[in-house]
Amino acid sequence: MTVSSLTALALAAVFFTVNADAAAAAGQERGAQLAAMCASCHRLDGRDQGIPSIIGMEKQTFIDAMAAFKSGARSNSMMHAVALQLSDAEIATLAAYLGARVKEGKR
Amino acid sequence: MTWTRRKFGRVAGASLAALAARPARSASPPRVVVIGGGIAGATVAKYLATSSAKPEVTLVEPKQRYKTCFFSNFYLAGTRSLESLTHGYEKLAGNYGIQVIHDAATSIDPVAKTVVLAGGGKLSYDRAVVAPGIAFKYGAIEGYDEAATQIIPHAWNAGPQTQLLRKQLESMDDGGLFVIVAPPDPFRCPPGPYERASLVAYYFKQFKPRSKIIILDAKDTFFEQDLFEDGWNRHYPGMIEWLPAQFTGGVKSVDVKTRAIKTGGDTFNASVANIIPAQIAGELAQRVGLADQTGWCPIDPMTFESRLHPAIHVIGDATNAGDMPKSAFVANSQAKACAFAIASALNGSEETMPHLFNTCFTYFAPNDAVTDAINMKPSNGSIKITDIFFSQVGESDEIRREASRQGEGWYAAFTHDVFG
Repeated sequence: MTVSSLTALALAAVFFTVNADAAAAAGQERGAQLAAMCASCHRLDGRDQGIPSIIGMEKQTFIDAMAAFKSGARSNSMMHAVALQLSDAEIATLAAYLGARVKEGKR
Repeated sequence: MTWTRRKFGRVAGASLAALAARPARSASPPRVVVIGGGIAGATVAKYLATSSAKPEVTLVEPKQRYKTCFFSNFYLAGTRSLESLTHGYEKLAGNYGIQVIHDAATSIDPVAKTVVLAGGGKLSYDRAVVAPGIAFKYGAIEGYDEAATQIIPHAWNAGPQTQLLRKQLESMDDGGLFVIVAPPDPFRCPPGPYERASLVAYYFKQFKPRSKIIILDAKDTFFEQDLFEDGWNRHYPGMIEWLPAQFTGGVKSVDVKTRAIKTGGDTFNASVANIIPAQIAGELAQRVGLADQTGWCPIDPMTFESRLHPAIHVIGDATNAGDMPKSAFVANSQAKACAFAIASALNGSEETMPHLFNTCFTYFAPNDAVTDAINMKPSNGSIKITDIFFSQVGESDEIRREASRQGEGWYAAFTHDVFG
């Protein structure tokens, strides 16, 4: 292995780390932006009254619920409309973002 | 994962390009001035302050406290206090670092990028967001001007006007006639005048059951008409009469002292009247040239940047946003799209397609509410409806009770989203 290829490897490692961090940060920001849509009706601190809390759920439970709203298997016109707006990738991003949130005071 | 030179070059190149696209960071962060602390303005300030662009956000709003128009029909019905509809700016300032200035903006210089305040101050901005709400087109009904609102309220901004109308309804005798004059499209809150009739009827039914309500409409149809007519028949049979413009010839003039409201045909002698005038974008938008000949503000559907002045964005009821109704929910939805677009511009990152949505909880009685859900999307330079769903006539009492409970929860969550 030459010096230049070692340098390239080291640089690649640096960039990989930078990009992984950047990707995580971008995912987090995208999650926050998508969750902003939810926050018009659902409190993201778990203190909902009359409207179900959507934080701290298992990823797959959230994904399955959104699929059921999208197909109409679960009947709710507001959630049906919201689910229709979101792609599968966006629903997965939301599942990760909202799933990682915990009720305030439980942290 | 094995990294080839080619892949590495592409990744490195992409990263460098992303870095290059980012504007050089000077010592001071970018400045965004938000004018108007209603639903749109408060929401955009909060979401800008929490964005990765980390701008310095200043919110200019003359009032110390904001009262929501939505749910104010419950105050007219006597089931909710005005205090419960009142929200301050302390959390936006304290939790999000937003500089809140209680003053009025008198002018904007879009070239120098400055905002002049009534108190004499001047603010510089990189981006401005203007959320001026609505103004009323007086003069369309002869005899109804701004002074007349002190006798016949419009009550279409929550506050003293709403209190005046409630007082008049309280002192009205049983058997009186309450007349609502409903405005032409487009106007703030399409179901609002009809929900108002419903909830005032709820009050009359308990305390003044011989009273009547007449709605004199500037239109020939209205939003969710079948749902309203069904609700009125079930809850208040014979109490509410809706008269379309094609039937009356429209409202022509009003004698403010006697509350005689003259249409193309009959004259209606009201015991209490509520005239909701035709509307245009708020006064500041007119003064600084953000509104066009329609009276509303044309905007880019992706970013809500004004089509008339670059670096100034307009959100909320003042916009001409294609199919988007003028509702608090839409104002909040637009504000988020606008905040993310400004953050992208300040970061030099890619724009994302905004998610635009509206829902309204509309009440016929405190335990009988309906909902609508509307998806909208930028399309061909405007914003178009892609999906729309309504509650249906004939739904069970249980479904309606559940919607009314959810509506209460929505109010709490929504105002928390807006005001922190």
